[in-house]
Amino acid sequence: MTGSQPKQRRVGDASAPILALERITKRYGVLTALEDVSLTVNRGEVVCLIGPSGSGKSTLLRCANALETLEGGRILFEGSEVHAGDPKSARAVRQRMGMVFQNFELFPHLTVLRNVTIGPTTVLKLDQAAAERRAKALLAKVGLSDKASAHPAALSGGQQQRVAIARALAMEPALMLFDEPTSALDPETVGEVLSVMKALADEGMTMVVVTHEMDFARRVGDWVVVFDKGRVLEEGPPKQIFETTTVARTREFLSHLGWHGESTLGASAQALADKEDIAR
Amino acid sequence: MNLDWSVVWDNLPRFWDGALMTFWLAVLTMALAIPGGLILAFMRLSKIWIVAKSATAFVEFFRATPLILQIYWAYYVLPAYFDVQLSQLATAIAGLGCNISAFNSETFRAGIVSIRLGQWNAGRAIGMTDAQVMGRIVLPQALMRVLPALASTWVSLFKDTSLVSIISVADLSYVSLKIRTESFRIFEVLTAMAVIYWLMGYPQAKLVDWLHRRYKVAE
Repeated sequence: MTGSQPKQRRVGDASAPILALERITKRYGVLTALEDVSLTVNRGEVVCLIGPSGSGKSTLLRCANALETLEGGRILFEGSEVHAGDPKSARAVRQRMGMVFQNFELFPHLTVLRNVTIGPTTVLKLDQAAAERRAKALLAKVGLSDKASAHPAALSGGQQQRVAIARALAMEPALMLFDEPTSALDPETVGEVLSVMKALADEGMTMVVVTHEMDFARRVGDWVVVFDKGRVLEEGPPKQIFETTTVARTREFLSHLGWHGESTLGASAQALADKEDIAR
Repeated sequence: MNLDWSVVWDNLPRFWDGALMTFWLAVLTMALAIPGGLILAFMRLSKIWIVAKSATAFVEFFRATPLILQIYWAYYVLPAYFDVQLSQLATAIAGLGCNISAFNSETFRAGIVSIRLGQWNAGRAIGMTDAQVMGRIVLPQALMRVLPALASTWVSLFKDTSLVSIISVADLSYVSLKIRTESFRIFEVLTAMAVIYWLMGYPQAKLVDWLHRRYKVAE
């Protein structure tokens, strides 16, 4: 792409973005959750959304997945406009976009295997045997083959979140949305979820990740967007945001999280480092 | 007190027939009132105003008036003023069915709205229609959650079937009271009646408790 302004090179910017938010505005009554926000996500790119709680990051994901109607602007996914108010259009978008929630939201009355097969069998009309083959391969991928017949309540938070990732992947989405996937987890299970997400990124999955895990954003993200009060404060490659930012508010936010320009040896950083060692 | 229990033994076949009638009344009523309650619950949750309001009117009428009045009304008013001719048994089942449907609808509705919005979003996020989310995700969880409430409705229904004896349906109450009138053995007959109701009702209550433990959904 040759824009008129000088632009930083981004992963996948040789072709049209898979997701484009054009000046969107979302209000809840008098509260403005997103104001005039524009954002693009390219194929194969990992975009991390960071910023203080209540700055609109999660709302943006919900808008992208057609779970919220907009007060202004428009969203283009794979070239066509997303209409949250039209159930048919909304379903078509959601089938191609996987979503992982902060609270997992597994279906508690179904086994782990059934949680993963229910999308393909009911929505894609895949037959039971084919759906189970796909589900078992995905459960192996997230390291939970032995839990297929368990119910979600018998699993730890980290295990539940990995099942939720497998459930979303079973629809073979073109894009994965992660809404603070590790915020509800015990610290000791954060690493296993981040490892699965990193492996997914390494395979080339397009991902939009709302996160407070700065190590993950820095090491796995290709592009980082900083939100504040419903607006985009700054965006750029991780190096720019975490090392050379000139935006005072970004620096302030990062220092509140104990970020001082270099990686801390927290549990998640260690898990990611281990994962890289294994891969090597 | 001079007791003569032979009146119970001699009339055992009649008690048996009455007990069977009581059992079938409860079963048929519930068979109507579960789909009936579900339909009313869905109607009350409808976004279409007139659908929701008419279901509300139905439910509030049947919940707020005595069952005995509903049975009398169906038995005397419907044939006389609306030219509807139902047998005593059909009248009894229709009356009980409407009444229990109204109670069940409130139970189902409470169960459905108790399932958190996140479950809806999770179902929608994998591309399900709202009907699929309701049928496969929300309703199964809601039904398991309300099983104890449905069970208590069932146990009260089982006892409330006795009210249909007022329109001469030959259930356990009607038969027992008739034997009492014929024999004047008030103590023996009413005691036998109580024992039979208890023998039938207690295992049902226990069975439902067991079902609840067995199918409890853990979060």
